[in-house]
Amino acid sequence: MANSHFPLFVTAVAVAICPCALQAEEKSELASQAWTILHERCYSCHGPKVQEADFRLDSRKAATHSAVIPGNSQASELIHRLKSNDPEQVMPPQGERLSEDEISLIGRWIDAGAPWPESTAHVSSEDHWAWKRRQDVKPPDTVNLSLLSSPVDSFVQHTLENVKRSLSGEADRRILYRRLSFDLVGLPPTHAEMESYLSDHSEDAFERAVDRLLASPAYGERWGRHWMDLVRYSDTAGDNADYPIPEVQRYRDYIIDSFNKDKPYDTFVIEQLAGDIVASNQPDEHFAERVVATGFVALSRRYATAPFELMHLTIEDTIDTTGRTFLGLTLRCARCHDHKFDPITMDDYYGLYGIFASTRYPYAGSEEFQSKNLPRTGFVPILPPDQANLSLEAYRQKIAGLDEDVARRQKEIEACKDEQQKKRMETELAPVRTALNRQRRLGSPPELDVAYAVWDDKPIDHPILQHGEPSEPGVVARRRAPKFLAGDEPLAISGPHSGRLELAEWIASPTNPLTARVMVNRIWQHHFGQGFVRTSSNFGILGQPPTHPDLLDWLSNEFVEQGWSVKALHRLIVGSATWRQTSDPTGLDDPLLGRYPRRRLDAESIRDSILLVAQNLDQRIPERHPFPDISDWHWTQHNPFKTVFPSQYRSVYLMRQRIQRHPFLVLFDAPDANVSTDVRTNSIVPQQALFLMNSSFMQEQSTAFATRLMQFSAEEPDRIAHGIESTWFRPATPDEIMRGLDYLRRFRREAVRSGLSEPEAERAAYSSFARVLLTSNEFFYLD
Amino acid sequence: MTLSRRQWLSLLAAGGCSSVGVSPLLFAAEQKGAHVLAPKRTHHSPRARQLVMIFLTGGYSHVDTFDPKPALKAKHGEPFPAVGLRPEEARKQPLLGSPFEFEQCGESGLWISELFPHLKTVADDLFVIRSMHTDIVEHFQATLAMHTGSATIPLPSVGAWLSYGLGTYNPNLPSYVVLAEHLPYAGSQVWDSNFLPPIHQGVRILPGNDPIADVKSPALSMTLAELEAEMLREVNRWHAQTRPGDENLLARSASFESARGLMEIAPDIFDVTNESSFIRSGYGIADGDTTSIAWQCLMARRLIEQGVRTIEIIDSGSSNNWDAHGNMDDHRPMAKRADQPIAMLIRDLKQRGLLDDVLIAVCTEFGRTPWTDSPTGKGRNHYAKAFTCLLAGAGIEGGRTYGATDEFGSSIIENPCHVHDYHATILNLLGIDHTRLTYHFAGRNYRLTDVYGNVIPL
Repeated sequence: MANSHFPLFVTAVAVAICPCALQAEEKSELASQAWTILHERCYSCHGPKVQEADFRLDSRKAATHSAVIPGNSQASELIHRLKSNDPEQVMPPQGERLSEDEISLIGRWIDAGAPWPESTAHVSSEDHWAWKRRQDVKPPDTVNLSLLSSPVDSFVQHTLENVKRSLSGEADRRILYRRLSFDLVGLPPTHAEMESYLSDHSEDAFERAVDRLLASPAYGERWGRHWMDLVRYSDTAGDNADYPIPEVQRYRDYIIDSFNKDKPYDTFVIEQLAGDIVASNQPDEHFAERVVATGFVALSRRYATAPFELMHLTIEDTIDTTGRTFLGLTLRCARCHDHKFDPITMDDYYGLYGIFASTRYPYAGSEEFQSKNLPRTGFVPILPPDQANLSLEAYRQKIAGLDEDVARRQKEIEACKDEQQKKRMETELAPVRTALNRQRRLGSPPELDVAYAVWDDKPIDHPILQHGEPSEPGVVARRRAPKFLAGDEPLAISGPHSGRLELAEWIASPTNPLTARVMVNRIWQHHFGQGFVRTSSNFGILGQPPTHPDLLDWLSNEFVEQGWSVKALHRLIVGSATWRQTSDPTGLDDPLLGRYPRRRLDAESIRDSILLVAQNLDQRIPERHPFPDISDWHWTQHNPFKTVFPSQYRSVYLMRQRIQRHPFLVLFDAPDANVSTDVRTNSIVPQQALFLMNSSFMQEQSTAFATRLMQFSAEEPDRIAHGIESTWFRPATPDEIMRGLDYLRRFRREAVRSGLSEPEAERAAYSSFARVLLTSNEFFYLD
Repeated sequence: MTLSRRQWLSLLAAGGCSSVGVSPLLFAAEQKGAHVLAPKRTHHSPRARQLVMIFLTGGYSHVDTFDPKPALKAKHGEPFPAVGLRPEEARKQPLLGSPFEFEQCGESGLWISELFPHLKTVADDLFVIRSMHTDIVEHFQATLAMHTGSATIPLPSVGAWLSYGLGTYNPNLPSYVVLAEHLPYAGSQVWDSNFLPPIHQGVRILPGNDPIADVKSPALSMTLAELEAEMLREVNRWHAQTRPGDENLLARSASFESARGLMEIAPDIFDVTNESSFIRSGYGIADGDTTSIAWQCLMARRLIEQGVRTIEIIDSGSSNNWDAHGNMDDHRPMAKRADQPIAMLIRDLKQRGLLDDVLIAVCTEFGRTPWTDSPTGKGRNHYAKAFTCLLAGAGIEGGRTYGATDEFGSSIIENPCHVHDYHATILNLLGIDHTRLTYHFAGRNYRLTDVYGNVIPL
């Protein structure tokens, strides 16, 4: 067989990560299999001719009206009916039940979005709801007005009334305040905060609580972290040696600040894609933050060992993350072929590719930083060029001078005949050479503050790469936004620029059908656990349709009209009766929003809450991560950078890597920093329990919490009550206090028996009680 | 007390749960098929039920191990139009004859080099694939590819896919255990579950005294630990009373029971001193050794008996491995470490009647160049266009080879087997159709073999 069959080097990296073909095939296969079952087993009663109970299953529209919730088999009544053991409930009511395999196929079909055979085959992608302009919707009329407290509720109540349901009542004030605190700042309320809220009986107590939390710096730390999931924030580059990027935390802080300042979302978008261009067009006091904002682009994944090795994949990451994060589009597919479902063409992909190929990315180091002594490059000064240039020029001259010096001395050494003299000269040269290397490796003058950011490079239009392969360039694609949304005209790029600014402005335009909807959906998702569109980074044909399309549009219109204010949106949402409902006892997912969904705390909230309750949380903003000095860096793929910096700061400030994940955070589903994450998983695994029962972290925190309880009061029942209130945010019942007393007594007795002194046993008993509270379901779940 | 896999299966079948550390709760859940790790049905009748993957880090040389090339010796030192690590490194390089002697072994006459005197004794159990190839010739990317099918973006590992597709037999142990003293290239990404639910993630056992993180209770006594456990159960019951039917709450409570099961059985499982000295010396475990690949291989057998679905052994980390750029003699100490334990693992499983139900896959990330790494060197560079991996067990008839390379070992001339094909074959042997084991994520279905993969005939 010929050699050419074996792509030598990078080639089959086209190993595309994108088998849309497979997807299409499987999906239509699934659709037709499911349809066959429905046809054979259900249509005789719920089909085109007969509609028992006014219910039919013979079109996607009818099926998804109530019994099928696309993407969520667990919540779909159809599945419950098929599985039910209740003779009143089970379907079909007579005859043979569906086999397990058949039910599981129906389940998979629903989870795959319940595609309908015809609609999958002939879907008209131009008609897709998400590409259309937002509707000018008005809140609908509802029968029951008493429950409503905001226009949001009209939409939700209207949908519920369609199925003869209604919003649930308002949750207890304690539950509400705890929920609010976690939602807005990612922390439980302190005892004092809760007390002060409960004792405030004024009309607007809740609104003022919302304002207070939104004004807290902890708000940005919470919501900034949600954003960091999307922009695959990491403190390292992701190359084979995973080089650290000390400067990138400026971007993290920029994100947190932006949320705290309630920066209009359109500005936030533009700055992250093109802040450097805005900044250099009009240098002012925002210069630094605008440059820093482009960390979004700079943080694109790096590969392998050389600078910018596999650059086409780095740009692929930029395009993919841009598409998912801002537009809910999966653009990556079009690297190798036109998108199989969405009307995204390769021409669109390479139109965007040219924009980023006209952009200079920074190089933070990789194996060749070590093996070839390459300097870091492309870091952007956070001062306008006229101020930074002086320093840059001095740095260049200094390096050149040192270079010259080293070269001259080297020549002298070579010319020298006297061995002893030669040795002495070499010894003298060594420190000069080291000094040169240190200076050069930094890549910028040490006194100049720089950002891990991008800058415009020479503008080019890039050829389409056939099969996504750099070795197969085809025709040139003009730089522009995707045609199906932006029209035929290429971007009107002003001046010798990359086009990032024009792309950003097009994305951030109030008339872009996707941008506002995608962000509103994300904010809703973080208040309710799920967005209206479950696939919150995929609004395309394969994404799921919104559960409340009108409400999504209404909120998106409000969002834009209120100056893209995220905080205004929070107020709208948490002020609604929908958000303030009681949670359902069963914890079942309710897409119609007739109750509030119970949720487990996320990784950051778990750690921060435990530290807070133990009074060990340091709520200050930390200094830089303690990375070693840049001139000492030496990492290779054989000895990659990997470390964990312990701290008691909020989890948003923990150092995160791409090649290895933080041991605590990974345990509780914090995202992989290599790719944009829209929805986190929510796992329950025994390793979490091992950590909570046995880790030294939990020992320390439960001991600290125990000390707090013992200091709180001399009275045992008061201590127990205080422990319960501090973790469960409700008063302890007399039974619970009795049981606590009993527990402490038994534990103490047993501990003394095991050889502890009385005071030691006392402390151990409280630590154990504290650990039980901190690991309980009531602490971990939010009602 | 440990149970053989068969005993486990019969236990499962009988619905019994009296054995060591099996939590009644999870066991009951498993009976109903409710536990996410409960064994699942295969696509077709499997040839093996469990997998031991032995990954030899750094890229062992195919032409010095299982793919003899007399022509290399004959033309030793002659320049060859070599293709190196990167295109710009393509240049003429002198061919390098193997410094090792090859011999035909067993009844089958399988060729094995002097590096593996012990593997020679089980030659008739080895199925040698001489036509492996991969895409990117960097350790990091190739290691990731061998584990996840993807050389670039991290995706779920083969063990995670097996856990997701097949579940496991012992609910008290992770379904995918990784025995690795040192972190390999690409770190923990190689056993990550990525977008698959984290329960399928490989759990790294650090050979040594603390094999699983936080598995030791800090409690002063069992009684105190049990008191605390009971208190936690009780407060979770109070909480659940007003929230009936919330399965997440129940599952989270159950995960503590499962963790306690693990705490109970772990010390026993990881203590090899209760193995006979005949067995220990058979693997080559010295007294007190808890880190060597010999210990890892014995542990793999014990975990097989415990019903773990996938066990992966990683013999060395991202340095001090098979990456012999300077001198092929550096393969000697690496082979010496691995040879006897791997051969013994095969023999040990066989004598226990387990080898037919266990697939052993011995692999590496890529091969090494038939020419030297530098004009005067004695080592070899990385090579993606041809390398050799092994399979054993699973009722595969051994003593055979599949695929072939040219006279220098530089190109595949027969039956190429891409990494995707290797994965497809492994899944196939375990009863899975690799095209049907999919997971829906980020808007589409993913699988281990992407859109590729052909099962090789066995």
